[in-house]
Amino acid sequence: MFTGTIIYALINSVILTLIAIGFNLTFGISGVANFAYGAFYILSAYSTWIMMHSFHLPYFVSVMISIILTMALGALMYQLVLKRVRGQAISEVIATFGIGLAILELFRYLGFVGFEYNLPPFIDSSYMILGTYVDMQRILIVVLGVIIVVLLWLFTHNTSLGLAFRGIAQDERTALTFGIDSDKIATLAVALGAGFAAIAASIIIPLGSIFPSEGYDVLIKALAVCIIGGLGSTGGVIVASFLIGFAERFTDSYIGSHWTMIVSLAAILIVLVVKPSGLFGKQKELEERI
Amino acid sequence: MNQTKLLKVINISKSFGGVQAVRNVSFDIKPGELLGVIGPNGSGKTTIVNLITRFVKATSGEVMFHGEKINHLPPHKIIRLGISRTFQMVRPFYKLPAYKNMIIPLYSPRVKNFVGGKYGDRDAMALDLLEEVGFERDSFVAYKPAGILPQGYLKRLELAKAISLQPELMILDELFSGLSLAEVASIVPIVEKLRQKGIAIIMIEHRLKELFKIADRVIVLNYGEKIADGSAKEVMANDDVKNAYLGTEA
Repeated sequence: MFTGTIIYALINSVILTLIAIGFNLTFGISGVANFAYGAFYILSAYSTWIMMHSFHLPYFVSVMISIILTMALGALMYQLVLKRVRGQAISEVIATFGIGLAILELFRYLGFVGFEYNLPPFIDSSYMILGTYVDMQRILIVVLGVIIVVLLWLFTHNTSLGLAFRGIAQDERTALTFGIDSDKIATLAVALGAGFAAIAASIIIPLGSIFPSEGYDVLIKALAVCIIGGLGSTGGVIVASFLIGFAERFTDSYIGSHWTMIVSLAAILIVLVVKPSGLFGKQKELEERI
Repeated sequence: MNQTKLLKVINISKSFGGVQAVRNVSFDIKPGELLGVIGPNGSGKTTIVNLITRFVKATSGEVMFHGEKINHLPPHKIIRLGISRTFQMVRPFYKLPAYKNMIIPLYSPRVKNFVGGKYGDRDAMALDLLEEVGFERDSFVAYKPAGILPQGYLKRLELAKAISLQPELMILDELFSGLSLAEVASIVPIVEKLRQKGIAIIMIEHRLKELFKIADRVIVLNYGEKIADGSAKEVMANDDVKNAYLGTEA
């Protein structure tokens, strides 16, 4: 049981990393807390389902189109709404949460609720790992999770766009003095974050079904990981994902599944009390003020 | 259009709420000219820098660069035209090593256009530029995170970043502040060299003695208004300037 718990805790941690990394990327670069993030996750899954079932497109093609569509919607949201309220945190949160709410509730209103709304696993098989059965989709999640994090690191450290992202993330005014267009970079950051939500959905959703309410759960999980890790810190997201991921699985195995949600919320409360800017947070001024 | 003028600031004004930070200020600068901008604290010097680079929007007036109006452009487009600036309070990317701070401007669209889309070895370019402003090549200071460097190196780094953008006009906001006399003495030849290359330089300074040695012309601001314009000797002989710095006798 212990080995099995470790294996599933590892998978759960990678799932949390995948869920949070896009939200964190957008916030880290543009300073925008995209509360429509969970809705983008669900929108992408529904979009894949619609393309597969209404337009009979192949699974992989549907996933690719959904990722691109979700990114385009993210860019559009920045250009039409966020650009006008950027820098006003409350307005950003209200605007993005409102958009997210509209997307999720629209799907519910249109009747997209039920277990028939699901995505198939990429490979339908399972393996025995150290005495524990693990299905191929979960193995794929771990492999893709590692690949995505490595690619993101290479992108931000070795490409001109990635460097521009890091420049804006560290100091927007300085980046402006290098001729970097901060609105263009912020648009790309929101689009890329939405794209990560879509990628996460395409590989995580096959483990269950698509429900509008899942959008709220994804947002809460992303927020929990980012708050604990420190908003804007990729390393923080990974560490926090593993902390919560392991804590949830061990609570589930040894205490009771109904306590797992309490673990995340308790972790947020403890971190906010002990280290308000998160484990690897950059917002030191917050701690100084407190 | 006067071809010899690189930048013309025409009757520019800025008010923040009820506070008039800059009022109808006009001046110009030629290629290769070093213009000093001085004035007591709160006289509007840094606001002028922010108005030229449009980090703040003018209430009225115009900024012309190469005869074209630029004060409707966003800051990144103004920088791409060939105007670079430094900040009074240094603003490096603290987590990155000093030479990596240079990589980001070396990837900028301005540099890309300037070198015809071929950047070459940016690490080498970064290290060369840092050496140009006084980072000793063999001391490995360039490889240390900017956050742990002393003020003197941070000012040099700020200067190197501004140079890296291949500017036609550099605006240096209190480059000498916080530096020792020896450090200023070592930076002055670097600034002189830039001017000799034909780069126009606007220096906002409180270190008047050092500025007057290298400035071709000086303008003096007080309460947001230009009160004098001329050589260092002329402006310091001006009664309004004396009153601004020393106060009037009751």
